[in-house]
Amino acid sequence: MIHLDIEQIDGVPIVYLKEDLDAANAATVERGLAEAIGPDALSLIVDLSSVRYLDSAGIDMLLRLSDRLDRRRNELILVVPESSQLKRLVTIVGLPDAIAIHPSLHEALAGQRSGGQS
Amino acid sequence: MEAQGPEIRPVDAPKIATEAAAGQSAAGSSISASRRDHLLSITDSALGYMSLEDMLSELLGRIREALDVDTAAILLLDEDRGVLLARAARGLEEEVRQGVQVPLARGFAGRVAAEVRPIIIDLEHAEVVNPILRQKGIRSMLGVPLQAGGHVIGVMHIGTLALREFEEDDVTLLQLAADRAALAIDDARISEMRAVTAIMQRTLLPETLPDIPGLRFSAKYLPAGTGVKIGGDWYDVFQLNDGRLAFVVGDVVGRGILAASVMAEIRTALRAYMAQGHKLTEVVSMLNDLLVSMGRNRGATLSILALDPQAEELEAVTAGHLPPLLVEPTGPPRLLEQRPGLQVGVRSGNEYEATRHPFPVGSRLLLYTDGLIERREESIDVGLQRLTAAAATAAREPKTNLADDVYRALLDETPLADDVALLAIETLPLEGPLEITLPTRASVLAGMRRTLARWLRAAGANEDEQFDVTLSTSEAAANAIEHAYGGNESTFTILCEQESDRITVTVRDLGRWRTARPPGGGRGLPIMRELVDDVEISRGDEGTVVKLIKRLSGQT
Repeated sequence: MIHLDIEQIDGVPIVYLKEDLDAANAATVERGLAEAIGPDALSLIVDLSSVRYLDSAGIDMLLRLSDRLDRRRNELILVVPESSQLKRLVTIVGLPDAIAIHPSLHEALAGQRSGGQS
Repeated sequence: MEAQGPEIRPVDAPKIATEAAAGQSAAGSSISASRRDHLLSITDSALGYMSLEDMLSELLGRIREALDVDTAAILLLDEDRGVLLARAARGLEEEVRQGVQVPLARGFAGRVAAEVRPIIIDLEHAEVVNPILRQKGIRSMLGVPLQAGGHVIGVMHIGTLALREFEEDDVTLLQLAADRAALAIDDARISEMRAVTAIMQRTLLPETLPDIPGLRFSAKYLPAGTGVKIGGDWYDVFQLNDGRLAFVVGDVVGRGILAASVMAEIRTALRAYMAQGHKLTEVVSMLNDLLVSMGRNRGATLSILALDPQAEELEAVTAGHLPPLLVEPTGPPRLLEQRPGLQVGVRSGNEYEATRHPFPVGSRLLLYTDGLIERREESIDVGLQRLTAAAATAAREPKTNLADDVYRALLDETPLADDVALLAIETLPLEGPLEITLPTRASVLAGMRRTLARWLRAAGANEDEQFDVTLSTSEAAANAIEHAYGGNESTFTILCEQESDRITVTVRDLGRWRTARPPGGGRGLPIMRELVDDVEISRGDEGTVVKLIKRLSGQT
C-alpha cells in the first residue's frame, strides 16, 4: 500500500508523485495510479515535476499503465517540466511517442479541456 | 460501602493492646518462641535456591502451618495500574488462578497497601473486594504490607474459617515472613527487570546505525539509576523511499514496561506511515490520532527529521520535544528554530508544521531527550545554555564524536536522574575513491543514488552529469539486484573513481547470475549507453562487472 497525493481538477484526477520511481516501488505505484483514476474519469494526470529519478523499471511501468488505460479508452498524461533531467531521459527513451507529455500541469489541464470539447 | 471503619482495626488499637497485656505474656512468649523457631525454619537459606514461584508457595505453606491459619496469600502491586494482583496463595489457590485484582486503597488488601500497616478484619462486617474470600467462608483476616526499598510492593495476608482474634505475636511473625518474601520478590524482580530491560533495549533501539558514506551517526542510550526500569526514551534511524534518511528521538511519559511498549508502538507506526510515503507532518498527525484512538493515555514528545543528503537539506517536525541542536560549519551552535507542535497521544486532531534547514557538508545535528539537560531546581533554559556551550567546545574538535563529547561534558560526573537518548548526525565531505557495498535489495537504490550524486558533485560533475552517471549506475545496480544469485539476498559493490576529468563507476555483482541476461533488461542498457560515454560489461566466474565511464565537461 502506498499513499499518493491526489487532487481532482475539473473531474480529472491528478497524482503528484514525489519519490523516485524505480525498481523498488514501480509495482506499488502502478497499483496506486490504477486506483486513482476512478470509474468516471476519462484521463489521469501524473505530475512528475518533483520526481528526481526515473529508471527503466519506472518507464516500463508508465508504458504498461498507459496501455492499460488505453484499452479502457482512458488516457495517461504526464507532466514533465521542459528543462528537467527527467525530460532529457524520457526523450532519450522515446516516451513522448507513446504517452502525452506536457511541460506543466496548467498545460496538461488545458489540453484536457480542449480535447474534451472536441 | 464506606461503613468499614469500625471493623478494620489497626493492630495498635486498644483492644489488641489490652489483650496482649492481659497476662498472656507467659503463654504468649512460649508460643511465640516455638513459632519463631518454626518461622526461622521457614526463612532458611534453602528457600534462596528455589524459583520465586516455588519459594513463595513454600513460604505461604509454612506460614499457614506456623500460624495455624487456613489461607495465606501474596498480592503484588502493579504500580502502573494502581492495583494489587494475586501472585501466590495457599488455601486460596483460586485467587491466583482467577487473577484477582484489588484496587489500591479499596477493600482489605488495598487498605493494607495504601496505609502501609498491618490491618485485622472481621469479614462479616467489612467491605471485601475479592468475592473468593466470602465464598470460601473466611471470617477473620490479618494483612501486612510487603515493603522493599522503602516502597510498598504488595500485601501478604492470612485468614481463618473460624472467627479468630489475631494477636500482636501473629502480626510480628507475619511481618517477619513478609519481609523475607519482600526481599526475595524484590531480588527476583530486579533480575527479571534487568533481563527484560536488556531485551527491550536491544529490540527497541536500532541494532546498528546505517553505514552511509559521507554521513556519520553516533547514538547513545543511557538508562537512569540501576537500569531496572526501562525508560520511554528512544531513537531511530531509517531510510525513506525518497532517498532521504529519517531520524527520530522521543520520550514517552513515565517509565516501565508500559512506557516501553507505547514507545514500541510509536516506533512501528512511524516507520509504517513513513514507508507509505506520507509527509512528515501527516505522519505525526496520524500517529497522534492513532495513539489517542488506542486509548493509551500516555503522552509522548518526539522530534522527527528527514535529511536529503543530495540537496543538503533537513526537514524537521517537533511534537513538544526539545529543539535539536545544530552545529553549522561556521558560527556558534544553535537550537533549531521549529514550528511548535503539541505532544502526541493526548488529544486528537493536532496539526503539525515542518521547517526546512540547510545542512551543508560539515554540519552536525544532535537530537536528545530531556535527561541530557534537565537538573533539579533549574530551569530548562539553563540546561539548554549548558548544552550549547558544551557543543561549542565539542565543535572545535570536528574529528570526534559529537554525541560522546556532549555526553561527557554534561553527564559524565553526574548520576543520571532520568534516561537519556542521544543521536548525532554529521555530514562529512565525500572525497577520493568511494566504495559502497549494498545488499541486493531494491529499496537501497534511492539512498545509493543520493550518495553517488553527492560524490559526483564533489568530483566536479554538473547537474546533468550527476544525473547521467547516477541513473546509469542505478540501472546497473538494479540489474545486480534482480539477478542476485538464486534470488537470495547477497551483496554488490559500487566503486567510484576519478582520474582528472574521467569518472569510472564499477558495479560488481558478487553473486552469480543464473541466466546471462544483458544488464538493464530491455531498456536499461540503451539508457546507460545514452547517458555515459562508455559501458563495459564482463561476466566472469565471480559475477558480472559493469564499468561505466563518463568524461566531465568541466562546465556547470
